[in-house]
Amino acid sequence: MGSKGFERGPFKVKWFPIYQRILSEIEREIKIHPNYADLQNQCGLLLTVKGNRKEAESYFLEALRINPRYREAVLNLGHLYIGMERWSKAEAVFLTESKKHPKDGFLRHVLATLYVQTGRFKEAAYQFQKALQHYPSYRGPYKKIGIWQGGKIFLNEKVKRESRKIAPNHHQAQFHNLIGLFLAKRGKMAQAIRELRKAAELEPNEFLFHANLGTVYYYRGDFQKAVEEYKAALRIDPSYGMGHANLSYVYGLIHRTGKALQHLEKAVRLSPGYADLHYNLALLYSDRRRDEEAISELKKALRINPNYLFARVNLGVLYEDQEKWKEARREYRKVLQITPEDQQLRKRLERIS
Amino acid sequence: MLKEDFVIQSTIRRTLIRNNVDYTEITFGTVRGVVYFRGRFKLAQLYTDGTKENALEFTTRSLHSLERKIKSIPGVSDVVFEFFNWEKEKGKWVPKDLKEDRSK
Repeated sequence: MGSKGFERGPFKVKWFPIYQRILSEIEREIKIHPNYADLQNQCGLLLTVKGNRKEAESYFLEALRINPRYREAVLNLGHLYIGMERWSKAEAVFLTESKKHPKDGFLRHVLATLYVQTGRFKEAAYQFQKALQHYPSYRGPYKKIGIWQGGKIFLNEKVKRESRKIAPNHHQAQFHNLIGLFLAKRGKMAQAIRELRKAAELEPNEFLFHANLGTVYYYRGDFQKAVEEYKAALRIDPSYGMGHANLSYVYGLIHRTGKALQHLEKAVRLSPGYADLHYNLALLYSDRRRDEEAISELKKALRINPNYLFARVNLGVLYEDQEKWKEARREYRKVLQITPEDQQLRKRLERIS
Repeated sequence: MLKEDFVIQSTIRRTLIRNNVDYTEITFGTVRGVVYFRGRFKLAQLYTDGTKENALEFTTRSLHSLERKIKSIPGVSDVVFEFFNWEKEKGKWVPKDLKEDRSK
């Protein structure tokens, strides 16, 4: 099916049959799970790009009714209003969100472009300043457009023209990202990469697109490219803990465990609440015979998740290495209470009893 | 011979993805070359004609394939599967609910 009957407005997207199939699939899913906010948001996004904005708005609003804190839906709705030139609605959406997250440079950036488009240059300059204050990495793109010149904010007609691209670019980039992930889940990696590349080209400063590209390259076995994309994501957002973790797993696959260790240590520092990260870091320490550090990480994993059986088995093995028989037996017994059929472990326990 | 548990663990993660396994309900660990799986085994997608028999056969084949691939990872000395819904019986993978039905 083509795009007949729909005005796609500012989007430079050819409506391929695969997009329609994905839209129909999501619509079917919504009938089964009407209370899944992410499905509502995805449907809204596809309809936005297809040009059916009124319907898209109702899907975003429904997503936000289900989950009022759903950031993606907020951003999509706000950008939709910008695209429809419903300025006061758009301003209300982004101002409310910005009040909740005053250090979010992206929200400041969008507000600034909204003010530029409506001729409110003073407010725009203030928001651009705030965006730069929170996200200094915006300096490069701002220089390129001409907003940042000689250490000052500078607004002119070119900035106004560029600002008009913000909303369609946002939706189009999110759209390609969504399609890319959808195709990747179905094992269509080459197509998925094409879509995700389009997303990253439209919004090169969005770390998520690079992170997703990294994951798809990783699935496909293109490890060097996966490393490059994860690194690109981390250059944009160095505080992205799971990005460091994913990078360490790729390094693990290519046997560069020194690099893996470096990144997993960062991942644990940034996301200390994940038992799995502590467990994997413990494996790296254990492989390097840094047993005390390994034990410490396993204990942290078990504090987060006391039922993390493998962490307990690894801990027992490390105690065995240190000839701490009592501690080793204690850990093995705890595991065997849950999995009495584990013959491997029973043998280990018998050997030291 | 490769003996690094972290490398094995990284390889398992990718092997699960490549073998169409939905690992959201599976945990896995590596202890000095012994690999442990625990949880509910589920495929991300079933490529069948829609009948229950066909789905069972497809899942069984997938389990055998996964087992073979995990065992062939350099450094893996043994694999312990503790799936809540599938188990190995006399060299064959059997769904636990089917086994329970037979014993009634």
